Amino acid sequence: MTNHWIDVKNADVILVMGANPAENHPISMKWIMQAREQRGAKLIVVDPRFTRTASKADIYAPMRSGADIAFLGGMINYILKNRLYFREYVANYTNAAYLVNPDFKGPGQLDGIFSGYDEKTRKYDKKTWAFQLDEKGLPKKDMTLKDPNCVFQLLRKHYSRYTLDKVSAITGTPKEKLVEVYKTYGSTGKPNRVGTELYAMGWTQHTVGTQNIKAMTIIQLLLGNIGLAGGGINALRGESNVQGSTDHALLFHLLPGYLPASKASLVDLKTYIEKLTPKTKDPKSVNWWGNRGKYITSYLKAIYGGNATKDNDFGYAYLPKLNEGQNGSWLVLFDQMFKGKFEGFFAWGQNPACSGANAGKVRKALTTLKWMVNVNLFDNETGSFWKGPDMKPQEIQTEVFQLPCSSSVEKEGSLTNSGRLAQWRYKAVEPIGEARPDSEIMNELYFRVKKLYQKQGGKFPAPIINLTWNYGEKGADGKIKKLDIHRVAKEINGYYLEDVFDKKAAPPKQIGKKGHLATNFVTLQADGTTSCGNWIYSGSYTEKEDKVINMMARRGKKDIGGLGMYPEWAWCWPVNRRILYNRASVNPAGRPWDTKRAVIKWNPNKLDPKTKKPAPGWDGDVPDGPAPPMADEKGKYPFIMRADGMGAIFGPGLADGPFPEHYEPLECPVQENPLSKKHRINPTVKLFYGTTGPHDEPKKEGGSAEDIFYSCDIRFPYVATTYRVSEHWQTGVLTRHEPWQMEMMPQQFVEIGKELAAEKGIKNGDKITVSSGRGKVWAIAMVTDRFKPFKVMNATVHQVGLPWCFGWQYPENGSGGDSANLLTPTIGDANTLIPETKAFMVNIEKA
Amino acid sequence: MSRKALVISPELCIGCRGCQTACKSWNQLSAAKTTNKGTVENPPDLTPNLYNKIRYVEVPSESNPVRWLFVSQRCMHCDDAGCMKICPAPGALFKTKEGAVGFDKEKCIGCKLCVAGCPFNIPRYDEKDKITKCNLCSDRIAEGLEPACAKTCPTGAISYGDRNSLIGKAQGAGYQKLYGEADLGGLGVLYAFKDAPKVYGMEENPAIPESVIFWHKVLKPLAYWGLGGAVVASLVHYVAFGPKKDEEVK
Amino acid sequence: MANMVKKANAFEILNHWVMAVSFIILAATGFGFLFHLEQLNSIFGNFNAMKLWHNWSGVVFAVSLFFTIFHYLPVSLSLGSDDIAWISKAGGYFSKKAVVPPQDRLNTGQKLLYLIVLTVGTAIAVSGLIIWLRPAAADIRKWVLLSHLVHNIGFVLMVTIIPLHIYLATLANPGTFRIMVYGTVPLEWAKKRHAKWVQKMGF
Repeated sequence: MTNHWIDVKNADVILVMGANPAENHPISMKWIMQAREQRGAKLIVVDPRFTRTASKADIYAPMRSGADIAFLGGMINYILKNRLYFREYVANYTNAAYLVNPDFKGPGQLDGIFSGYDEKTRKYDKKTWAFQLDEKGLPKKDMTLKDPNCVFQLLRKHYSRYTLDKVSAITGTPKEKLVEVYKTYGSTGKPNRVGTELYAMGWTQHTVGTQNIKAMTIIQLLLGNIGLAGGGINALRGESNVQGSTDHALLFHLLPGYLPASKASLVDLKTYIEKLTPKTKDPKSVNWWGNRGKYITSYLKAIYGGNATKDNDFGYAYLPKLNEGQNGSWLVLFDQMFKGKFEGFFAWGQNPACSGANAGKVRKALTTLKWMVNVNLFDNETGSFWKGPDMKPQEIQTEVFQLPCSSSVEKEGSLTNSGRLAQWRYKAVEPIGEARPDSEIMNELYFRVKKLYQKQGGKFPAPIINLTWNYGEKGADGKIKKLDIHRVAKEINGYYLEDVFDKKAAPPKQIGKKGHLATNFVTLQADGTTSCGNWIYSGSYTEKEDKVINMMARRGKKDIGGLGMYPEWAWCWPVNRRILYNRASVNPAGRPWDTKRAVIKWNPNKLDPKTKKPAPGWDGDVPDGPAPPMADEKGKYPFIMRADGMGAIFGPGLADGPFPEHYEPLECPVQENPLSKKHRINPTVKLFYGTTGPHDEPKKEGGSAEDIFYSCDIRFPYVATTYRVSEHWQTGVLTRHEPWQMEMMPQQFVEIGKELAAEKGIKNGDKITVSSGRGKVWAIAMVTDRFKPFKVMNATVHQVGLPWCFGWQYPENGSGGDSANLLTPTIGDANTLIPETKAFMVNIEKA
Repeated sequence: MSRKALVISPELCIGCRGCQTACKSWNQLSAAKTTNKGTVENPPDLTPNLYNKIRYVEVPSESNPVRWLFVSQRCMHCDDAGCMKICPAPGALFKTKEGAVGFDKEKCIGCKLCVAGCPFNIPRYDEKDKITKCNLCSDRIAEGLEPACAKTCPTGAISYGDRNSLIGKAQGAGYQKLYGEADLGGLGVLYAFKDAPKVYGMEENPAIPESVIFWHKVLKPLAYWGLGGAVVASLVHYVAFGPKKDEEVK
Repeated sequence: MANMVKKANAFEILNHWVMAVSFIILAATGFGFLFHLEQLNSIFGNFNAMKLWHNWSGVVFAVSLFFTIFHYLPVSLSLGSDDIAWISKAGGYFSKKAVVPPQDRLNTGQKLLYLIVLTVGTAIAVSGLIIWLRPAAADIRKWVLLSHLVHNIGFVLMVTIIPLHIYLATLANPGTFRIMVYGTVPLEWAKKRHAKWVQKMGF
């Protein structure tokens, strides 16, 4: 989130789209309801289904799954046409005024694609997406926003195609509802009104997932809602610590702190830093990623310690390197496993046999493994995959190791929530039986692997053997007897390995004492004198006046301006800044756009608390850098993480286009994309099954049978989506074992509309079969008014939905049912490859 | 000790059922094996192990496919409690000093009359026929804590406090009259309804069954009067007319 | 020694006392439940035990009530003009000079008493069983409430009538009580009070 959970209460309009917080983030409803009850905020819910969140909405707009960009594109068009945008914000804080290469063409001119598309490689050459540069090398601008090549006019042209009629025909949303939503949300374009958007998997899990979010970012930038209290673009993460997991780089393409993972062509640290550090020629742009070198070097010093020196390139050679173009994301990984490319697999705190898209393929993939380690609280469909339905145990050679691990209340450590807030948790009870915290399991694993490497040698032992791994007292054999999680937290925070000086000051000022915990990432160095396991967490476990403080354990209840920021409660990254891009919450002179909800305010009369001398600075939240307001000669642009310091309305960095464009899901109910005759689906998505023809149909023998897809096919005529339920957690590994939860939600169900049920002769409570190109599941039919048929391109389209929280392994008699992911397709987002599980096609029949 | 109460606001309830689980957790109630009968509402009815249940009520809506209300069903802790009125066993059902209606399984005789006497059909009985129902977490409120359901509720749809201040607060939030303000001597669980109670599936004018009122007001005193009257009448007759001796009979 | 005639056999006497005792227990426990008389704990221990006494006494009462059908129902149903005359004279209880028509084995008052005890007793027993056994039915609450009402109306009637019955069977009519102890009465006594019966029996 750019903002945070409690901040939602500050909004005037809350748009929930691609999420269902009433069911999946119930605590957040406290703040949503507070906003409604206390400041009369309006809640808008856009969803294919009338959800529990919709039941509380002031406006509910039904929308077919997979049509979000059409919906949002229509909103952009409406905002521009009706001049609802916040002009001063747009002109000064975004790249709206930038001039783009005049050769740039959009889908309106090229029937569905942008200029530079290569059909063979399915990639774009982005030459024509570049900005025109002036003699200083800075982007040319037209501050009047009138130049036909300026981003603003290109935006207008692009979304002029998203007329109300067109959008209504694509989304199935009645026109009046579109206008109602657009008008209400567009009202936050005024400086004293702010709107927030809450999204989750309903937006991300599509082939156009990243662009869904980008579309909303454009809207928020147009309306001037980024950086303000009650605004922002806010992802509701699907798990209590998944934010932490992405922060600490559990994904293949990252190193901790969102540093890019290295690849083979980046031969040394110098090259890595050179090639991957964004540069800017604009003195007013902070370009904070320009500090990349300090963070990668400090990271290497943290994990390799004394074994990382100037002489060995700080151990850069030890970092794993991706091959050019190599992708290790979920779909690719399991596809590789399916093809027999993996010997072993750690299913660590997950249940891919139920959570993976095309779960049937995942289960088959598991049969190719020589060994698997299932680390979990309970056995599940993954650990016992070989006993599953359609499995022939005698033909499976996998050796499965089950390692019981502790739950979150049986160990100490931090959790980072969607609002970037890292809160320290304590151990309440001892783990039962042989269960151990994951850290101790890893510790054990590490030392045994290290010992093997030391004894037997191997291809490349150094990266393992040379790790510092100083997480506790070491025994005579070098193994840590008891892992101290606080040491891990401190390593993440970082240390001064030498006395560190700010060489820019005259005389040089000491900013760090050797051996002490780092204050924050501003003091990290690229010369190996500092260590830091994750630069964005630097400052989370630090020292103040020689006293060590675990900032994440703080529970202070002081607030700023009643905005719910609670700066002394725990610690958020970066540097405890509660609202990101808050420099955009003030005008170029440093005065808040909205004085009633001021996040930061430039105070020219501020006094230094120690010296009592005048020290003009910012009041309020931790500002995005201490520099004065933009209008000042030393002032800086607000979007400090972007090289040019501006919010990106035009985003050339994405794989599938600088503007979001509506494409149909891989499996959809219409024969062609209503906006393009030539490109039905996202032209840059990685295909696991070949497409052919004018409508991207499945090719004959286009790949493994498991990856087949069917679009606009009478065999699978209904749009389907998946979702979570309040009563169960993820795939249900924990909650299916909890009788109180099973009592409330005992079995797999599918929600279908009354009209569809009548057509198929299905009654409420009937057991029916839901099938797709990949597999089938039984489900209890919940016949309801909450799904109504859509009118899409003059045809009636029905949609159904089911949860993915059930699995065959427990309850043992299979009475709970199996996961909806047995139905979902092998396809993912063009940028992240997150599977498209929220829009695919199925058939339903009485069982 | 001023009377304590709960206010339930369906307009704030999101149907998360944290309250169902919290109640079971605090009272250590077991779970039943259920099946999905085409609704998320489960278990289908209150049970001796389910004191508090969310009902999912769908009513027609003009602007939306449906109007979906989530209404908590539980003991109303009436001031004039029908269960207490009809109960033959002293101490089986009792009022706590906060105004809650508590139960004592040891004193309960398992007659199950309370199930019929309750205007809201709340009490349930276990396999030993002993009555069980929400007791407003009487052990928690006695210590100044709030009931488990109120503590868990994320949106404040269940709020606990001094009855009068809760009513005042609700009026301030725009609810002119709460359901249960005056009914049955004033309910201990009030509902903030925006519409008529029947929209939410609740009785418009809940009352203790007429027969029970009649029994309590008329039959009970008549029992003493009848017995006493008969004895007195006999005595008076004996004094006035004396026995019918054989000589008198013809 | 006077001539004695048999008015009641051993079974009738035993059955009457079984019914009477069970009735006393029922009435006393009934009052206990109605008015939460915790003093009764000194007899029964606690209300759970008292309920067992009440319910099983009810069973005993109902069984004995059933047997009374054989003893009293036929004669009680044979109502005629003599019974009407008896009623119009209030059984002669409100005058020292009143003369009533010849009476059967049971006099009119006794017949009426029996019919009332049979109907009310049956109603109390059935309603009590419904409350106790709570048969499975969709609208069982309605039936329980109705049973509760019937049971208590019956109770009021019984605790009013039975004391009168006891008075009339003892103090008010000397010579009656011995029927339920020895089963016999002097012939002369029977000729005066149950002339029709004496005639029928040919004593």
